[in-house]
Amino acid sequence: MTATPASDSGSGSATAGSGSASRSGASATPAIELRGLHKSFGSNHVLKGIDLSVQPRQVMCLIGASGSGKSTLLRCVNRLEEPTSGAVLIDGIDITHPDCDLDLVRRDIGMVFQQFNLFPHLSAIGNVTLAQRKVLGRSDDESRTVAIEMLERVGLSDKADSYPSQLSGGQQQRVAIARALAMNPKMMLFDEATSALDPELVGDVLDVMRQLASEGMTMLVVTHEMGFARRVADHVVFMDQGVVCEQGPPDAVLGSPSTPRLQQFLEKVLEH
Amino acid sequence: MSVEAQLGESDLPELYRSGRAKAARSKRNRIITYVISAVIVAVVVAYGDWAKIADKYLDVERAGELFPEIITIATKNTLIYTVGAFVGGVTIGLVMAIMKLSSLRPYRWFAITYIEIFRGLPALMTIFLVGFVAPTALGVRFPQVLGVESAGIIALSLVAGAYLAETIRAGIEAVPKGQVEAARSLGMTQGQTLRIVVIPQAFRLVIPPLTNELVLLLKDTALLASLGTTAASVELTKFGKDAFNKDFNGTPFVVAAVMYLLITIPLTQVVAWLERRNKAMR
Repeated sequence: MTATPASDSGSGSATAGSGSASRSGASATPAIELRGLHKSFGSNHVLKGIDLSVQPRQVMCLIGASGSGKSTLLRCVNRLEEPTSGAVLIDGIDITHPDCDLDLVRRDIGMVFQQFNLFPHLSAIGNVTLAQRKVLGRSDDESRTVAIEMLERVGLSDKADSYPSQLSGGQQQRVAIARALAMNPKMMLFDEATSALDPELVGDVLDVMRQLASEGMTMLVVTHEMGFARRVADHVVFMDQGVVCEQGPPDAVLGSPSTPRLQQFLEKVLEH
Repeated sequence: MSVEAQLGESDLPELYRSGRAKAARSKRNRIITYVISAVIVAVVVAYGDWAKIADKYLDVERAGELFPEIITIATKNTLIYTVGAFVGGVTIGLVMAIMKLSSLRPYRWFAITYIEIFRGLPALMTIFLVGFVAPTALGVRFPQVLGVESAGIIALSLVAGAYLAETIRAGIEAVPKGQVEAARSLGMTQGQTLRIVVIPQAFRLVIPPLTNELVLLLKDTALLASLGTTAASVELTKFGKDAFNKDFNGTPFVVAAVMYLLITIPLTQVVAWLERRNKAMR
């Protein structure tokens, strides 16, 4: 029942949505596109018709108060959360279509969680090699080589054999980023990646994310770090009560907010 | 310290006086408990007929005759029954746990029915059903496996499987949801997620209750004394009973009991250690 409107808009994507965009013209097709996305949990209407598109190599930050629906939106992008209605297009293909193989979709979409969600029974390198071997079918040697490269990239090559419980929150989160990157994702989702960290550990994680952005990774980032949004994002989206309230370049959105809601939000966030 | 010692009791603050009074009271209570215990022990020692007890239950010569068979056959068989039923029980329990968590209703119903039946029946009844009813009613013949009766292993596996299903299900449900989400976000299938992320963690969580079930199983093998066994496939309790039946001297039971304790006490220590370690790991 939820998939019917989604599949309709999916099959008509070339005509209805981005107009002239065709699948061959990758630069014109958004990496992520949400069309009329709704999500309800029972009677709680969390997302009320979201339309958004993230271009390839773009860094989009989602900001807003807790409960505004930003995390739910992010989780709909790889369908960890099932949209109630609407379409989610990844590289122009509607992934809410019932025929869609989600496991294949998710290989290409790296995700980083607030609570890290490292596998506690595996070492850092075990975490980074597991899905490479089991999902991509890489050999032990190859997955190890990639894992070491990724751990170096996040500055943790010396922690390869440590278990998550032996690592600080910031280190765990960077291993989680390495784990996602090892799958060679086309895009990355960050769900409040620094919210569970002690303040002094936030910087290390943000540095890795900034580095990733400068390398041209397509990123959709739910964050409370306004400094990061201002300096790193290409596009900032302010969500409020399940709708996109205001969006645009960071300087415009954060510098001169036009809606009273965003003004209030920014005052509260920047007060302290 | 020295200042306080010089002060009289009445000069002490109320807090100290009250504290001293409580300490004195608990010391007095401790002494009373020791005295009563000592009296009980003294009475038992004085009035017990030790010569008769030693003769009937602790006859060294009779105890010696039990060896080496009590180790090489009876204890060995008890361990084979225990480990066999444990492996069978964990296997059944894992399958039932997964079925009970399935989104498909028939699987859930099957698992619930199984669990309710075999947890609801007395273990001895299950042993009779498998050992006596199945062969006569269904014509099933249970061969000897590893020198023991497979019917015994099967019956105890069925019982243990029902209990372990609930234990393992609880373990699976205790694995945080974020673990599943992380695995799925990496492109793992539902089956892969269960197999290589959830179940290994679930088992880690339930190692203490699992080991506890092993101890319970070891003791439940005594129920197999009621099963038809041969001299070679006998377990510890039946072995003790057969030896007792020769001249109704209780020594074989005492020796068999010691054999059980030699296994169960270290095992319960292992359970306690595992529980402490699990707590520390969190």
